[in-house]
Amino acid sequence: MSETGEKLGGSWDVERLLGDALRPIEPPERLSGRLEDTLAAVTQAAVEELSDWAEELSESELRALRDPRNWVRPVVAVGAGGIATGALLVLELRRRSRQQAKGRLRSVADRVGL
Amino acid sequence: MSDATENVEPGSLDPAAKAELDRAFAELYRDHLKDVYSYAYYRVGNRHDAEDLTEQAFLQAYRHFDRARRESDGRPLRPWLIRIAHNLALNFYRDRSRRPQTPLEYADPIPAQHGTEAVAEGREELRQVIEKLDNLPDDRRDALIMRFALGMDNREIARALGRSDGATKVLIHRAIKQLEEEMSDE
Repeated sequence: MSETGEKLGGSWDVERLLGDALRPIEPPERLSGRLEDTLAAVTQAAVEELSDWAEELSESELRALRDPRNWVRPVVAVGAGGIATGALLVLELRRRSRQQAKGRLRSVADRVGL
Repeated sequence: MSDATENVEPGSLDPAAKAELDRAFAELYRDHLKDVYSYAYYRVGNRHDAEDLTEQAFLQAYRHFDRARRESDGRPLRPWLIRIAHNLALNFYRDRSRRPQTPLEYADPIPAQHGTEAVAEGREELRQVIEKLDNLPDDRRDALIMRFALGMDNREIARALGRSDGATKVLIHRAIKQLEEEMSDE
């Protein structure tokens, strides 16, 4: 009898065989890269949505933006993403989105004379 | 578990909430990529389809993550994640009307220090058990993959398969029994 498969009292130790046969498998490197790219694209779409949202605000809620509590919040919120696994959620996108949001809000603030 | 209804798309969340959601999802991804990939691999039988299935599973998980977290009451989300992969695997075969095209492979688990004869014999036994596993009814095979490849306990497997704990215990017992009988018939 081999060291891997055992017949105990005439019956197979199937649980041990299964434990040997079904080892967890390390995902290939390329899969992580591929997933990160896909999720980054999803995140990018969300960032664009955020930009559209900021754009909408600039046109429809200018009055509300006179109150700093209303317009500082998105900047702080976008900046709150200190993501441990930067590769997955793409810190670069966050940095860009933060700059975009700041830029838009600054121009809105300029326009409303804040 | 979750479905598309009542779900909040991550992109529609408040930015602070989305940042927190992304952080938690990154953690889930980091902790369970290997689990999902292993499950997918043993389920579909080849690396290419396993990669596709893993990618789809995480994309779906990302879309429904907010709701799943809210409904989990702090329970681990691994069974939910594996359930997504499980459902995708079912669709995978339903859509393509096929079983795995290639026989399930095992991941060469025999350590190199074994003698040549023992290695050959051991591989043959592992091949046999994998072959028998592949021929089990889907629910039995899936439960054994979850138990042995992912190390899930009965409760986790029950949640992943949408069964009661008791039914899952019986399922696993019968699956092992069936494998033992079929191995003995060889």
